Amino acid sequence: MGRPDLNRRQLLGGLGGLFVASSFGFAALGTGADALATGADTRVRYWNLFSGGDGSNMIAMLDAFRKAHPDIAVKDSTLQWGSPFYTKLAMAAAGNRAPDLGVMHLGRVTGFSPGRFLDPWDVDLLAEYGVREADFNPALWKRAVIDGKLYALPLDIHVQLCFYRKDVLKKAGLLGDDGRMVPVTSPDEWFDVLKQAKRATKKGLQTIGLWVNDQNFQWWFFVAFYTQLGGTWFNAANTEVTFDTGKATQVLEFLRRHITDGYADPGFAGAAGAEQFLNGSPFVWEGNWSVPVFSGAKLDYGATPLPPVFGKPATHAESHAFVLPHQSDRGGPADEAAHRLAAYVVRHARQWAAGGHIPAYTPTLSTAAYKALNPQSEYVSAMDHQATEPKVWFAGSTGILAQRVGPIVVASTLGSAKPETAARRMKSTLTQLLAMKNPMDGRTAAQGGAAA
Amino acid sequence: MTATSAQTITAPARARTAADSATIRRPQGFQHGGWFVAPFLLLFALFVIWPLLRGVWLSFTDANISGEGARFIGLDNYREALKDPLMWDSLGHSAFFTLMVVPCITVLAFLLAMLAHHIERGKWLWRLCFFAPFLLPSTVAANLWQWLFNPGTGMINYVFGIETPWLTDKSYAMLAIVIQTLWWTVGFSFLLYLAALQGIPGHLYEAAKLDGANAWHRMVHITLPMLRNITGLVVALQILASLQVFDQAVVMMDFLPGPEGSTRTFVQFTLEEGFTSYRVGYASAISVIFFVIIAAVALARMWLLRNREESAR
Repeated sequence: MGRPDLNRRQLLGGLGGLFVASSFGFAALGTGADALATGADTRVRYWNLFSGGDGSNMIAMLDAFRKAHPDIAVKDSTLQWGSPFYTKLAMAAAGNRAPDLGVMHLGRVTGFSPGRFLDPWDVDLLAEYGVREADFNPALWKRAVIDGKLYALPLDIHVQLCFYRKDVLKKAGLLGDDGRMVPVTSPDEWFDVLKQAKRATKKGLQTIGLWVNDQNFQWWFFVAFYTQLGGTWFNAANTEVTFDTGKATQVLEFLRRHITDGYADPGFAGAAGAEQFLNGSPFVWEGNWSVPVFSGAKLDYGATPLPPVFGKPATHAESHAFVLPHQSDRGGPADEAAHRLAAYVVRHARQWAAGGHIPAYTPTLSTAAYKALNPQSEYVSAMDHQATEPKVWFAGSTGILAQRVGPIVVASTLGSAKPETAARRMKSTLTQLLAMKNPMDGRTAAQGGAAA
Repeated sequence: MTATSAQTITAPARARTAADSATIRRPQGFQHGGWFVAPFLLLFALFVIWPLLRGVWLSFTDANISGEGARFIGLDNYREALKDPLMWDSLGHSAFFTLMVVPCITVLAFLLAMLAHHIERGKWLWRLCFFAPFLLPSTVAANLWQWLFNPGTGMINYVFGIETPWLTDKSYAMLAIVIQTLWWTVGFSFLLYLAALQGIPGHLYEAAKLDGANAWHRMVHITLPMLRNITGLVVALQILASLQVFDQAVVMMDFLPGPEGSTRTFVQFTLEEGFTSYRVGYASAISVIFFVIIAAVALARMWLLRNREESAR
């Protein structure tokens, strides 16, 4: 039984095998190609989630670092912001293919299995490169410490701000002699301000945009005002919910009133709020990342932390922080270079402030260059009045907490749930979350108590 | 799969019973056809069968995304899922979407096909217009409608002179996604109907005309009955596709679950549990539940069809 095609098959098989083998070979070459191309000895792989204006500021800072340290090649990768980023980082760490350096939201660090997915920073090495604990806001630094080890090096804080148009406020008589918005210290004063601003507003524009339909923004605003009222979430051991439904109701009623009194139009919820602001709407509550957008449009505007209507100033703050994703063999030149790079960027964050963020490295804030930045210097006080989510595994930017509680705040603001009802629902959701086990280690927030 | 194809080919040629051909022809059939489908079977097993079985296994564990430390926990995930209001909500949203889309798309596709079939001039232009949106990637189609639905600058509100907050109010959000889906996917069903219309023999209409049937009678007594099979196909495909709605919804809602969670679909919920909450075991259990639901729908349809065919005999 002759099989005339046998040789041809062998040939094809051989060719196929050769092809597969060579593609692996090229892939292996590729990993070293960047370091070879620059002639650098050390290569730092760095993952971040910055796009748009933040992205180009970060790249500019990386380029400055490259110039200053030609022996270190920085291979930076920008990934999609939000949940997908954390999923990728977690899987890379679990599969031991993690980059040397990464960026995370500080609130997410507690839930990101520090010790398993993250390696701690070498604080002495950081000090050698010029970054010390004393250079940071103490509360911010403390949030980055888990089990006595530093797991995140804060780069900035980013806060929720009250943006106002100076041209409209001037017409309404709401601008002080210093060219800034008149101070507001109670809900009634705030609504008086809105009332006067509304009279000076062009027809067809809402008075204030506050993302009434967005579960993240509404949650952030809630956190800010609830903190102003001195509200708490859990007891110190994370065994009991101390959430105060009375205070929560007060905040929810306050948010809701913007719609019922006719200052915020649900039709212009979401990003339309910023568009309206550009068109002449007097107020918008936005993250500080909108600063480049409004400055780019050459608006005459200012920005303060969210008004302290409940007395104590506080505005919601999250923080971008450098982390060391877990590598089983962490150490050596790449690790040292990661420390050096992170320390460099943290110390040279003046450029970063152009994106509206407040640099975490406090010496930057007292420089003349920073003080000359407007409106950044107007809201720099937010550093000392941070309202943050509780330090538990389910918290953090766009995390489970925001995903579960945010929609309840929205329901109340939009009027589909009564504020008291919504406050009770928030409390029961918090109770559920506290009892929930962290899927990463099977422990509840209380059992992971040492971490908090 | 290979055995059945061998059967259908050989059965008419030799007068054997089905049992005979199944036992005798199979080994030879695999020798000839088996190697051709082997690459497919290998990939199918690797990327469909194995993940499916693994997913079922994971649904009985408390696995997280790291793949470490998973423990067998029996039916706990299923117990939790059946009590989870979020799961029922998202199932409701997907079901609501399906109930809205399937009848609308079937009727619309039929009407458009009738239009394109009977129009005399510029036939190609009509066909192109109705089918073109289907060629767009889902993100493009969704982004386009995000702009059209924009409350301040969007065309929809401008043209109709209304101020509907399409994407930001929970009573309109899902409706907006349904409208977008109709525009985007009607072309596919339209094409199926058009092909079926062209397959109806013209002599049926001529004969009916001679017997004095008017246009309405011809449609009700010839066109509709002749399209019955294709309608069954369109409805079945639409139900299965609509239950799995995901991409256009998340893109139109900027990757959030919509106002007050009103457009969180079942697929999105599964994704959130697995990749935001990192609960891979729980997400697997939800997927299995979803799989059972979809399989039940498909089986119910087959059963209905068989009953109808039998009663027609």
